[in-house]
Amino acid sequence: MKKINIKVKLFVSLAALVLTQISCTKDFLNLQPQASVSSDQLNTPENIEGMVMAAYAELGNDHYTAPNSLWPYADITSGDAYKGGDGTGDIQEFNWMELFKINTPNNPLLDTKWYRLYVGVSRCNEALKRLNAISDADFPNKKQRIAEMHFLRGHQYFLLKTFFNHIPWIDETIEGNDFGTVSNTALTSKQLWEKIAAEFQDGVTNLSENQSDAGRPNKFTAMAYLAKVKLFMAYEQDDNNNVTSINSSLLNEVVTLTNQVINSGKYALFSDFAYNFLWEKDKNSTESVFAIQRSINDGTPKGRLDWGSMLNYPMNPEYGCCGFHIGSQNLMNSFKTDPASGLPLFDTFNNSDVVEGADFTTNSFDVRIDHTLAVPGKPYKYDPTFIYQKGWSRSGVTYGHFASMKEVQHYKCACFQKVPPFMAASKNTDIIRFADVLLWKAEALIELSRQNEALPIINEIRTRALNSAAKLKDANGNALSNYKMDTYQPGVNCIWTKDYARTAMRWERRMEFAMEGIRFFDLVRWGIAADYLNKYFAVEMTKKQYLKDGQFTKGKHECFPIPQKQIDFSKGLYKQNVGW
Amino acid sequence: MVSLFSRVWKHKLLFVMRLTFSISLFCVLQSFAIGTFSQNARLSINQKNISVESALQLIEDKTDFYFMYSALVVDVRRTVDIEVTNKLVPEILDDIFKGTDIGYKIDGRLIALSKNGEISPPIQQQKSVSGKVTDSSGGPLPGVSVVLKGTTSGTITDSNGNYSLSGIPANATLQFSFVGMKTLEVSVGGKESINVTLTEEAIGLDEVVAVGYGTQRKADLTGAIGVVETKKLREAPTGNFMKALQGQVAGVYVKTDGSPSGAATVRIRGGSTMAGGFNDPLYIIDGIPTTSGIEQLNANDIESMQVLKDASAASIYGSRANNGVILITTKKGKAGVNKIEYSSYYTVQEYAKKLDVLNAYQRGFVNWRAAINDGLTPSSNIYNYQWHREANNVAVLDKILLPEFIDPSQTMRPADTKWIDEVSHPGFLQSQNLTLTNGSEKGTMLLSLNYFNNSGIIKETEYKKYTGRINSDYNFLKGKLKVGENLSFSKINNVEIPIGDVMYLSLVQQPVVPVHSVDSAWGGPAPGMTDRHNPVRLIEDNKQNVSNSARIFGSLYADLEIMKNLNFRSNFGIDYTERYYRKMDYTYASGFLISDISRTTMSQDHNLAWTWSNTLNYKYKKDKHSVELLAGMEAIKAQFVTFYGSREGYVIQDNNYMYLNSGTSKFLNGGGGAANSLLSYFGKLNYSFFDRYLLSATIRRDGSSRFGKENQYGIFPAFSLGWRLSEESFIKNNLSSISNLKLRAGWGKTGNQEINNEAIYSIYKTDTGIDPTWDFDSGTSYDISGSDGGAIPSGFRKIREGNSLLKWEEATQTNLGLDFGLFKQKITGSIDYFKKDTKNILIEPPYLAAKGEGGNQWVNGASLGVKGLELVLGYDTKFDNGIELSLSGSISSYKREITYLPEDVLTGYPGDPANGKSVLGHSDLAQFGYVADGLFQNQAEVDAYAAQPGKAVGRIRYNDIGGLDANGKYVNKPDGVVNALDRTWLGDPNPKFEYGININLAWKGFDCVAFFQGISGSKVYNDYKHLTDFTSIWQGTNFGTRTLDAWSSTNTGSTIPMLTLTDTNNESRYSSYFIENGSYLKLRNLQLGYTIPKRIMDYVKISSARVYIQGQNLFTIKDTKGSDRYTGVDPENPNFAYPIPRTLTLGVNLNF
Repeated sequence: MKKINIKVKLFVSLAALVLTQISCTKDFLNLQPQASVSSDQLNTPENIEGMVMAAYAELGNDHYTAPNSLWPYADITSGDAYKGGDGTGDIQEFNWMELFKINTPNNPLLDTKWYRLYVGVSRCNEALKRLNAISDADFPNKKQRIAEMHFLRGHQYFLLKTFFNHIPWIDETIEGNDFGTVSNTALTSKQLWEKIAAEFQDGVTNLSENQSDAGRPNKFTAMAYLAKVKLFMAYEQDDNNNVTSINSSLLNEVVTLTNQVINSGKYALFSDFAYNFLWEKDKNSTESVFAIQRSINDGTPKGRLDWGSMLNYPMNPEYGCCGFHIGSQNLMNSFKTDPASGLPLFDTFNNSDVVEGADFTTNSFDVRIDHTLAVPGKPYKYDPTFIYQKGWSRSGVTYGHFASMKEVQHYKCACFQKVPPFMAASKNTDIIRFADVLLWKAEALIELSRQNEALPIINEIRTRALNSAAKLKDANGNALSNYKMDTYQPGVNCIWTKDYARTAMRWERRMEFAMEGIRFFDLVRWGIAADYLNKYFAVEMTKKQYLKDGQFTKGKHECFPIPQKQIDFSKGLYKQNVGW
Repeated sequence: MVSLFSRVWKHKLLFVMRLTFSISLFCVLQSFAIGTFSQNARLSINQKNISVESALQLIEDKTDFYFMYSALVVDVRRTVDIEVTNKLVPEILDDIFKGTDIGYKIDGRLIALSKNGEISPPIQQQKSVSGKVTDSSGGPLPGVSVVLKGTTSGTITDSNGNYSLSGIPANATLQFSFVGMKTLEVSVGGKESINVTLTEEAIGLDEVVAVGYGTQRKADLTGAIGVVETKKLREAPTGNFMKALQGQVAGVYVKTDGSPSGAATVRIRGGSTMAGGFNDPLYIIDGIPTTSGIEQLNANDIESMQVLKDASAASIYGSRANNGVILITTKKGKAGVNKIEYSSYYTVQEYAKKLDVLNAYQRGFVNWRAAINDGLTPSSNIYNYQWHREANNVAVLDKILLPEFIDPSQTMRPADTKWIDEVSHPGFLQSQNLTLTNGSEKGTMLLSLNYFNNSGIIKETEYKKYTGRINSDYNFLKGKLKVGENLSFSKINNVEIPIGDVMYLSLVQQPVVPVHSVDSAWGGPAPGMTDRHNPVRLIEDNKQNVSNSARIFGSLYADLEIMKNLNFRSNFGIDYTERYYRKMDYTYASGFLISDISRTTMSQDHNLAWTWSNTLNYKYKKDKHSVELLAGMEAIKAQFVTFYGSREGYVIQDNNYMYLNSGTSKFLNGGGGAANSLLSYFGKLNYSFFDRYLLSATIRRDGSSRFGKENQYGIFPAFSLGWRLSEESFIKNNLSSISNLKLRAGWGKTGNQEINNEAIYSIYKTDTGIDPTWDFDSGTSYDISGSDGGAIPSGFRKIREGNSLLKWEEATQTNLGLDFGLFKQKITGSIDYFKKDTKNILIEPPYLAAKGEGGNQWVNGASLGVKGLELVLGYDTKFDNGIELSLSGSISSYKREITYLPEDVLTGYPGDPANGKSVLGHSDLAQFGYVADGLFQNQAEVDAYAAQPGKAVGRIRYNDIGGLDANGKYVNKPDGVVNALDRTWLGDPNPKFEYGININLAWKGFDCVAFFQGISGSKVYNDYKHLTDFTSIWQGTNFGTRTLDAWSSTNTGSTIPMLTLTDTNNESRYSSYFIENGSYLKLRNLQLGYTIPKRIMDYVKISSARVYIQGQNLFTIKDTKGSDRYTGVDPENPNFAYPIPRTLTLGVNLNF
């Protein structure tokens, strides 16, 4: 009996102990997140501007493993550049891309790029969701900002499209589990292009002609980008990435759009080609149509610098690392000109190699060579006292010495900063510069068989280039190379047929935009990538042995593979690109 | 009966209400005083014709007494008249029961009513006993508790081992007990003087061990509990006593490195959650939980340590017990003991074995060899080769010429630097410990101080630890109320040398690079080399960076005996860590690596956790029944705050100058905070019947702030049963050699909530950017105006998708165990089998990228199963010649496999789920990749083999395992192509089994310990091999000497691929080439000690003294044969961790 008695008493005390405690619990376990905001708190006009800002910020969210300057995707894949760095194993994923044949859908850096591009999309969508919900009265900038977000989203999708071809289209209406239901083949290639065009069309319709902030697109920026999209659309491709026809009406739209941009009076070529690659000149650019705004000493821990190019500096004490993005011998040779006509050596440029030293006086060259590639013995970055040396190259045995110069900045530039062991600069990264707009127009005209109208455009580009030797002098004031270039003068130094014009235009694009992260997508647009690159490998591998495994498979390598991880995460909803 | 129950209910309720009211007050942090009672309470009652029942109720209402009786025995309906004024309760009772056969007995607040004569027999004649307690060597044993068996009354021996007890019954039995000694029972039997000798007992069955919120006799344990011999922890020359647990407790796996701070990873039964999740055990130090910084506890302060391995033992700590619980109780003073202990040791540490890397000439040679192999003209930025081809076209290297300088700026002359020698030196370690204890019946105190210093074998690394402890308690109310505190303070200064980098760099930095340049600047990489730092510079430029942390860890407690056997205990603990760190980055020029940044970053963290627990504990023992009940509640809150400031532009680079105020540019700061809380209720029942049938049941309900309202609470029950077969007569009588035999079975559930504090919330943050050197920028600020200078506007980015439905991760564990002892415990052992299934594992899986930023979400996703077997064996004997031998060994094994994963997260783990090779059924750590199947020996082999991009003579051949059939379905049949489909399971880093063997010998004051520990069946991914075996994967680094033995047409027996400059065969891929046997057996410890005879020490007034010499990690046996042999230095510590040193220690322990 006693036992029972005591047990019961204890049982009751337990029960009471438990019951009386419950009243204390509510607040004790309710802890709010720290240093963050909830989704609802972001719907105010000020915070919506913040969401818009974050979408812009993604443009500049960079890293050398997935640069927004696109050099690994368009330069080392086009015969213009070698990966560089400390041998082929240093960021080997880029080496796989460079050789094509050994690239696979498991390339983690392509997955990284895919993800970052969708981060860009998601930031636009986060802003758009809130912009759509707020009233014009509360947010007078609503229409403008929506158009900006469409523009930025269009940019991310343009990259996704040209990289990966078949991509899931995610807009601000997709939420929750719906993400997993959007296939990358839900839209045809053409439908995707139309979606992308619509993004920029919204900008054309709704953006004002003037923006107070240099970083925001205006109506003409949208027109320029739309022109680019239409140009890509014009080269219609079949399912095997073959260009099957060229759409004239789209080409006409390109001409119309580019004309509007050109006639807006807002843009002009710099008087000197060099200014495009110098922070101090580029700041209030007339040539930059749209650019990633980089900044230094901006209150952020390390600045918002061009991290995508931070490995592309040479190995001298003033810099120190890491020798990536090295110009190919083929590119170097292509700057040679005919000493008589001053025109490119379309067929014979690669018959002999230009190497440092006397070659630069015995041959004649396009002026742009010394803006583009560093050559041992010549001034680096326009500084006659700062001579690039063979010893500055990282892995000369493998990659040679022709370092890229356009994206790097002089170490004395106020825009330059060490981020030990690496370094970077705050020079903006052009996404569209005016020269590109001009050459799109020329390209459209030529494909429309209006090559005579294209001639003055190409010559305008060449004229600016040949007048851009002022900064290319050594300490004695002598030119760095034997520059000899001229405009195309039908009947004098050429016969300006459509085919010739096309060859000239394509060559001009290479000279003008070499090492700027553009070339590979040009080759694919024109439908010549396989032929061009396999010819390149056949010759170049005799000069750089690591290229011996380079091989481009037609109908496969025109786009990168859908990252295997994404196919897996989609549970097979995503379909792999043709050939992969 | 009805009346009885109703009365009991009513009265107990009143009592309980008083109690719970008090506890509620606790909850709102009010002060608390439990209702006092007094046997001296005087009452005035004037009631006529009142039933006895009512009268008793009246007394209960007015006093704290309560009654216990059986209504069958006591006629409570009888009416009485009571007229008393200001009378004591006994007087009133005398009145009420005058003339009846009912008597009463007062015990605390309990008044038991029963028939006279059934109450305890008349008190017998009382007498006094005294005597002396000694140990086996004849020395006096102070502090031994001498207790009258079956009571709590007794005394403690004084410093001379003497005791004296008076007023005890003649037929009493005295119990002599002392920690570490066998408890002895002596019947008084009329004797007036009883001298006893206690013998030592390592882990006796009667030893009381700490279990959740209480203690239990080892014999009564039903859970899987490993008891640690704490003596071994104290003399282990390491900064973290957990390291000394390696191989000592079956089922506890400790992975360490040699770093001075003593990093150790502890896994109990293989952990319970996914890799990357929280697999660390929960430590409960004097009732205060913590999961980190265990190395800050002074090993000398540890009195006892128990490892609660299975759920039935750990589940009382339900919320965080998934990975097992390690209970640590610190030492206390003992009544009657006044003692000073001093212990000290000095240790020399040295590199056990260094990795063999190439010297400058060899580095040049392998580069030449690789170029020749590739058909290239050997060339180098550094080396100038003179070579020729012989008639048979064999290339022969005649000479390597080095340039005068290796760098364009002509500051570095070629050297032949042995980097590993430049960064290492013999390390030195010492520990000084002083412990003072004092105690009386009124209370006890302990004060301990410890200084520990370890300058490791990597230069300039140094770890200094100062710890202090005050443990004291005070007895009030005749011992019914005990108030005390356990308080420790520690301060740590650690030189923050980036060890991983230094270790890696000592391998990869080329030997031709000098430590210093000719202009006394640093040597460093030259063009043609990889962009890696000079490791000596890293050491020198970081040696001023000392992190300082201080921690206060302790608790205040009060333990009140409410009534006999019913205790209320309240324990309030704090764990406060503060870390201050000033990091100075100096400018440097080291080869082509140059920094013009001088920066100071000062940062501070504050980490405060408090734990408040209240428990009611009731023990009852009667005849064959023994019951223990526990009920309690616990609240825990943890808060974390951190902030930093940094500046650049220091005109002087000196740590006396480089404070924030002196910086001139780049003013930056940052900070953040976090908090979480837990609220829990729990109860426990232990019941033993006949001392042989044991039952234990616990239940705990936990609420965590990390879960949403719907699933905030988890319930964690556990049950266990034990059967002490050896107490059964059929064993006792027939199998006398069996001294102990116990079967145990337990089942229980535990939980885990170690996830991001804010996992249930969708949150957005401002992000001003990170260090882009290694991480992707994810900033939200943008120079929208294009001004390039000045502050820029920022926005918000999504950090996470919240999951308000998150709930507790739960592990269910079943344990079956058998404890045995033979020949009077000469041979002891135990076997445990366990099966642990964790479900609803909290994971934050990778997700479909199309979701974009912040698509990551915590979910209750995976399930994991772990099962295993543990065996412990011990043998103790004393030979006739006086040699004592004790052998003990343990072996344990577990297998860990993922049993469930949502389909869409399978790809986040190893494997190729699309082709039927998912990680399900494998460990989450399993290695997946290509099978390297030797090297192609000739062109015919190459031509005949499947399509493998890059295949060539001398290159690795990868197995063609499978491919897709015509329907695109994977089949396990070679398809003539080596591609991603040929990846398969290669191995598992989890060891198949772990073991430890202890050999203890003692003879006439000498003692010797040898301890071996090993693991077997672990597959190690040897990352080193990329650098030791290949000239192609990282062309610009130094390589291992293994490259000298690479395959060639004249060295076809080699397994090392032919040297090449370009990895066209993609041999850096994840393949079995890098998977090696991680098994090892180490002589962890060899110790020889001598206890100096007392007669000698008496001269110097030292009561005991022991000196010892000890060596650690004296040798290692590893796999040196076969294709999976371990080619690195130390399989226990692969890759770039701090090497585990070989040590030699001299130590002394003194007692005053």
